[in-house]
Amino acid sequence: MAAANVQPTRRVVLGGSAAAAIGGVFAGFGAGRATAAENGGAAPKATTAAHNPRFQPFHGKYQAGILTEPQAHAEFLGFNVHFEELARSEGIERIRSILKMLSTDAQRLMSGRGVLADTEPEMSHAASDLTVTVGVGQGLLDVLGYKSAFLGKLPAFAGEKLDARYGQSDLIIQCCAQDPTVLHHAVRALRKNLRGITEPAFAQSGFLHAAHPVLQGPGFRNLFGQLDGINNPTGEARELAVFGDAQEPSWIAGGTTLVLRRIEMNLDKWDEVDRAGRDFALGRRQSDGSPLSGTKPTDPVDLQAVDGLGLPAIAAHAHVARAKPETADEVLWRRGYNYHETQSSGLLFASYQRDPRSSFVPVQRRLAQVDALNEWITHAGSALYAILPGVAEGKYLGEELFSQNKQ
Amino acid sequence: MKYFKLTAALAAATTLLLTGCAQEPSAVAPQSSTDQMQGTQAEDLRTNETWAKAAEHGMSAAFGELRNEGASTLELESVTDKTHGTVIEIHDTQGQGAEARMAQHEGALLIKPAEEVVLTPGGTHFMYMDLKTELVASQTSTLQLNFSDGSSAEVQFPIRNFSGANESYHGSPEEHADHEGH
Repeated sequence: MAAANVQPTRRVVLGGSAAAAIGGVFAGFGAGRATAAENGGAAPKATTAAHNPRFQPFHGKYQAGILTEPQAHAEFLGFNVHFEELARSEGIERIRSILKMLSTDAQRLMSGRGVLADTEPEMSHAASDLTVTVGVGQGLLDVLGYKSAFLGKLPAFAGEKLDARYGQSDLIIQCCAQDPTVLHHAVRALRKNLRGITEPAFAQSGFLHAAHPVLQGPGFRNLFGQLDGINNPTGEARELAVFGDAQEPSWIAGGTTLVLRRIEMNLDKWDEVDRAGRDFALGRRQSDGSPLSGTKPTDPVDLQAVDGLGLPAIAAHAHVARAKPETADEVLWRRGYNYHETQSSGLLFASYQRDPRSSFVPVQRRLAQVDALNEWITHAGSALYAILPGVAEGKYLGEELFSQNKQ
Repeated sequence: MKYFKLTAALAAATTLLLTGCAQEPSAVAPQSSTDQMQGTQAEDLRTNETWAKAAEHGMSAAFGELRNEGASTLELESVTDKTHGTVIEIHDTQGQGAEARMAQHEGALLIKPAEEVVLTPGGTHFMYMDLKTELVASQTSTLQLNFSDGSSAEVQFPIRNFSGANESYHGSPEEHADHEGH
């Protein structure tokens, strides 16, 4: 879609912040200081939650852990459900009982109690902003009869080298907390409870900065050293990008979708790149995240700006140039985490959006085609999930899916 | 943890209130109600934190807190699995660790007024003697608690994986090691 066709008619709320939000989507590459503008210049409150850990509510319109400011630690758990030996009706009941159990588990853990039959409930007592967020893959939706997939699977993208270990699973549980020990206990308890009825597909741990303030503004340092998430949408713009509205809803009211991509970073090769080369590849300065078309992190990514020689300040193939949303629909809320393992380091890219087909997919297609950063990154994992709506008291996660009327 | 006085009027609300979250509530549903003003033993029972240990076959156990909200002692005479017909016994565990041995509780299990009996691994518990059907984690086992006055209560026991509580398995072929599958 050419820039000339851009018609962000949707969302009045985006009118003000769309320009800022559209400034850059991916790794960080943006200026979420939109917050400051929206708040009339008040300091961004992005890290407030990190200063005062507490208990996050389980019940609500949306699941916790989505719009929530990212906690310091995360673990993404993938599971596959054993459907093979089950008749279809049994499979449906199995899903229902799993979702009921996860609802109970999530509520108990998030409120600081252990799960039922917990052998170490004391580990859950500390307030740490724990959130447990649950979604399902298309495979599980198929069993429930939702075959006319809103969701489906992510398409293949050029250049990716996918490792099946980090691929699509039936179930995703995103666990986040400020405290890694509380987080570990939650992960352990959830996995224990799912033993025997599911097969663990993956467990991917991520981290940001410690729960004390490191950055003044939004975002975090990714392992390339870049400020990631500067331009993430905030406030109402974030909510709209994630959950849509009456005119452009997500797959279900109160629900959204999660794209989980494992992006390996070749840190050794990145070491060879000097500061100017790094800034050129990203289109922003490593020092403070400011775009090469400006001087402050809050300055917009301006692809028309030229430098002293009359050359584009931001190269056409710089990451921010390619990632910049071309429409309001392309705005997504990135909630990724750094990861580091023995053999691999990188970014657990996690984005929430009402419809990946109009947001993540076109953006990623552009990036897969041309992005200066591609020289140092490899997409090794890819999965897409339907994130279940929030839960009212007395209900359980995904209860809406068991009605007779399939969409 | 809250216990709720259960009356007919409150029965519907109990599902919501007992756990505050309604998933797998430890709801108590009296089976026979005589004079409501007097209150049957079943109606004086409150349960909390109930769960049963997942098992494919052989033996298993159920745990939880049983509280007497009434004015007279509850006499729990027997427990039945009406859904699947597995024989349930009330057992006590004596001793600890490798020395732990289990024995059937003598007489009725007594719960004094305003007191509670906690069924726990290593303590008193309900024993499934020879499972007629698998206890699948995440599902719920419904047991009927029968009292000396002829009243009974249905109690939900959410089924969970639990590697402990093996005291009772001495001399039994199944001590299946659970694997988390890391």
